[in-house]
Amino acid sequence: MGSMTVISAEIIIIVSLCYFALIFFVAYYADRRRKAGNSLLSNPHIYTLSIAIYCTSWTFYGSVGKAATSGLDYLPIYLGPTLIAFGWWFLLRKMVRVSKEQNITSLADFLASRYDRSAILGAIVTLFAVIGITPYIALQLKAIAQTLDILFLPLKNLQGPTSGLIPYLPGQVDSALLVTLLLGLFGILFGARHLDSSERHEGLVVAVALESLVKLVAFIAVGIFVTYGLFNGFIDLFQQFYERFPDRRYLFAVGTAEVPYTKWFTLIVISMAAIMFLPRQFHIMVTENSNEEHIKKAMWRFPAYMFMINLFVLPIAMGGLLLNNGDTSQADYFVLTLPLGANQPWLALLVFIGGLSAAAGMVMVSSVTLATMILNHLVMPVILKLKLRAQNLSGILINIKRLGIIGVVLLGYFYFIVIGDSYALANIGLISFMAAAQFAPTMIGAIYWKRANKYAAIWSISLGFVIWVYTLLIPSFVRSGWIDSRLLDEGPFGIAQLKPLELFGLSGFDMYTHSLFWSLILNLGVYCMVSILTRQSEAEKTRATMFVDVFAIQEQPDEHLTRISKAPTIVEFIDLMSKFIGDKPAQTAISVFLADKEIDHRGSLNDQDIFSLKTFTERTLAGHVGAGSARIILENYLAARGSEMENIFDIFGSVTIDGAIRREHLSVLYDVSQLVSSGESFQTKLDRILELLAQQFKFDLCVIRFLEPKTRTLLVKSLVGESFNHFGKSERNLSTETYIGQAFLSNVTMVVNDCDELEKPASSAIIQAEGITCFAHLPIVLEGEPVGMLSAFSRSNKGLFTTEFIALLENIAGQIGIAWRNEQQIGRLLLVREQEREMQIAKEIQMALLPASLPALEEIQIAGLCVPAHQVGGDYYDFIIREDGRCDVVIADVSGHSIGSALIMAETRTFIHSRVHGIENPAAMLQALNDYFLKDLDRSDLFVTMFYLQYNLEHRQLIYSNAGHNRPLLWRHQLKQIEPLDAEGLIFGVHKEVNFEEKSTRLEPGDVLLLYTDGIIEAENSHQHLFGQERLEKMLSEGVASTPQELIDQILTQVRLFTGYRHFNDDVTLLAMKILK
Amino acid sequence: MKPHQVDNSLLEAWVMFMILGMVMINFPFIHIFDGDMSLLGIPRLVLYFMYGWPASIAVIWLFVRHLEQEGQRQQQTDHKNNTATR
Repeated sequence: MGSMTVISAEIIIIVSLCYFALIFFVAYYADRRRKAGNSLLSNPHIYTLSIAIYCTSWTFYGSVGKAATSGLDYLPIYLGPTLIAFGWWFLLRKMVRVSKEQNITSLADFLASRYDRSAILGAIVTLFAVIGITPYIALQLKAIAQTLDILFLPLKNLQGPTSGLIPYLPGQVDSALLVTLLLGLFGILFGARHLDSSERHEGLVVAVALESLVKLVAFIAVGIFVTYGLFNGFIDLFQQFYERFPDRRYLFAVGTAEVPYTKWFTLIVISMAAIMFLPRQFHIMVTENSNEEHIKKAMWRFPAYMFMINLFVLPIAMGGLLLNNGDTSQADYFVLTLPLGANQPWLALLVFIGGLSAAAGMVMVSSVTLATMILNHLVMPVILKLKLRAQNLSGILINIKRLGIIGVVLLGYFYFIVIGDSYALANIGLISFMAAAQFAPTMIGAIYWKRANKYAAIWSISLGFVIWVYTLLIPSFVRSGWIDSRLLDEGPFGIAQLKPLELFGLSGFDMYTHSLFWSLILNLGVYCMVSILTRQSEAEKTRATMFVDVFAIQEQPDEHLTRISKAPTIVEFIDLMSKFIGDKPAQTAISVFLADKEIDHRGSLNDQDIFSLKTFTERTLAGHVGAGSARIILENYLAARGSEMENIFDIFGSVTIDGAIRREHLSVLYDVSQLVSSGESFQTKLDRILELLAQQFKFDLCVIRFLEPKTRTLLVKSLVGESFNHFGKSERNLSTETYIGQAFLSNVTMVVNDCDELEKPASSAIIQAEGITCFAHLPIVLEGEPVGMLSAFSRSNKGLFTTEFIALLENIAGQIGIAWRNEQQIGRLLLVREQEREMQIAKEIQMALLPASLPALEEIQIAGLCVPAHQVGGDYYDFIIREDGRCDVVIADVSGHSIGSALIMAETRTFIHSRVHGIENPAAMLQALNDYFLKDLDRSDLFVTMFYLQYNLEHRQLIYSNAGHNRPLLWRHQLKQIEPLDAEGLIFGVHKEVNFEEKSTRLEPGDVLLLYTDGIIEAENSHQHLFGQERLEKMLSEGVASTPQELIDQILTQVRLFTGYRHFNDDVTLLAMKILK
Repeated sequence: MKPHQVDNSLLEAWVMFMILGMVMINFPFIHIFDGDMSLLGIPRLVLYFMYGWPASIAVIWLFVRHLEQEGQRQQQTDHKNNTATR
């Protein structure tokens, strides 16, 4: 060749930078669009293209290299994914669904989350991924550096180490480092702006999709140029090739020395695993998936993409070989050197950009994914262990993540510098694929096999990892010359059975097949064996169900069964979230959660919703820090404040349903649960349950007793068994002398399988007299406390009570407990409902006591309003028109909002109405009321304040007295100012002798009098500020022109706006009077 | 939205095609096309993959189309049921 065109370095640099700027702009635009709620990502094209991140620079340049040197073995890398893509609707969709429901952030999180939220498993997977993937990043950087070299220095011998130098830059600054940092920056900008990793990174994905499009276009452009520009089509290429290199026909065959069938098969299998389980693929396909429907389109579009990008691999390889006289030393870069050699610099530049795209996409997404995994599974557990006392960790965490991204790309760069040209790096693509294959059994088991457990996952992945290192990584190090080659030839310490490439004597295979065989067979074997041999905890079973049955179950099964004692409040949960994810995201999350929940008047949730909130908090945190860490955070938090999870009851959970349980047991269990949830009366339920037990298990006597708390005795509530005289019918005292007492007091099941061996003399006489051979007492336990006892006696079968049978009976006892609790609750509920009904009646009566209509007078306008804080209240107002043209107006406030307050209020009204014609002036009325109330109020701890005024319509004379009430406000129309009306006087019910001062004043037309209770000025907003008298005065002076009705309406509206609550804390009463003439 | 019920016949078809696919791209099946024989100057194995691959993609496309129709049908029935219960 030799006649390559050189493109000037400036152009390359400018075009590359422009290209990066374009990607940046597109990514930025996509993020903006998403924020505006107009997502670009909700589009199957973008999804498909982003999956093509699978095709890295290793395939962009390397496929042709492989085709030119070893033959068709570049193909299985794409055939495998095509095959598995066919099953995406089942496999991938399930992974996506699970991940969305569990807020999964990464592959490691997926596994950790499924397997009992194990922090150890997450850490192992992360470590494995970092070791397996970082060299792969190095490979991408190498491709960029080498292609830059080819463009800058086409005449340089490429056999030597890459220089990676950009002209015009100082010698120490190397192009690969610049690109590395640029890609890291990109990762930070679009992959780590927020901490929430389960949130989609629209910008990043759209950038990757654009890059996929560019690399496809570039590759096809070169393909067409070579096939139809340099040659005359496919057939011409093959003909020329056959003529020139008749001995290289093996390049088009499989089953050759280069590509044995076993290797072919191996490559298909590991590429199937790689497309699903490489961390970056998982991230793009699962975490970033926005719609399950997109999977359908991607199922055929992605294979079509791969077909297109592969169509011209062979022609370019053949063309390269033909034009280079069969020299394969530069085969890896034929894609670039062919257009360069043919004087097509712009095409070469396009290829370079294509290769850059392929590398950049992989580096960006991998670094973000690995950084997320490192943060959530390596750093978080340490932070939690150290129990850092920072107020807000979210800022620190996001910075750790950003640091992680830079760390990962720099590690890749470091690899590239140290082992840049080694055998190990060139083969790291397949080695990485093999690493991903080690996740396959555990991942697939995670969503299809409930029994698979944490230990199995930890051990199988660890073992797979060890075998992978030993059979692939170490041999590749040996071939790179870093380890003595005797290890491969003779085995460690000369043990031939342990040769890394012929483990246990398995020889005759290529290293990939050999490694796949051993790693997968041991990995899978351990996974299955350990899963079968060890047991899952209840919590892990629940997790397993959530994953395996993700399409079947709509709600978490344990939500109804558990409650939290001493539960944190909503605010405490918000604070906890804020600490890790920041204030704003926490507030947003909680508002989503609370949207459809009912909050009671104390601002709290019911038990079940609090439990859902705990689960929700954990899930939200999991979206940011991973499931394992989230669990630890929640558990530590709850433990620290003394909250505990309590089992309310789990119908089937406590009985191990395996072969040991017989079918009839299950059917009894089912029947009992049906009975408990039926609409029968409590007594009927108990009777039926006992009948069922006696009938099914041939008991001679079954008894249910419940504790009578006053006498501390167990009273028989239900009994089934004919032939007993007194036994069983009597009540039982609680003492450890008897079996039943012992069972109740120590809250354990007491079983006697052979009554010849009784230990308690107090019981033995009667039991033997009745001929009982075995019996059991099972405490009926509710939230840890025994409330009653289920007893079963048999005269015939010794040894009836096996462990399984006892478990069954304990379960039934638990269900009886549920029935008992329901009964108690129903009783309480009925009571509450009855009370509510009565309160409603009381409210109606009370409202009827207030003046129904306003007196229509020519001289004055008057309006009043009372809003009770609860159903009944203690506020009262009234107008009474006397025949002589005087009008009495009264406002009063009885402390409290109880029925008691309401009764006092009613009493006050009755007193005033009956005595108003005998008592002529306000002071006398207050005096009489004080005398009257003295005894009543003293006993009830209530007190009353009142303002009483009398207005003479004719003379416009106002006289008034006050019993400790808020001073009414009087607007003097002529003076345009407010004057409070005050008179000496004490609240009712304190002293016998009170002197109520009586004052008088003359009103003028336009004057407005406003009377109110303290509910107005003491109305409080969320910042604990009071509405206050000043605001009220301002409202009055601004509203004097309106009618009294309008005035009080305006004031009420303002108070409501001020508090922001729907209900007032205190009763609110307003009364306005305007003088007309 | 109701989760799509995975139709059993689809699942069976999927398993069958997966096995078939695995067989058709592996030894001994591809051995049929191996060797020096060529058609129109192009090696038979290369031709096999050049035509077989798009054909398999077409099969996936048909499968997906069936899935989509199934989904639509289900939605329609759901819709009908909903309107009926209203």
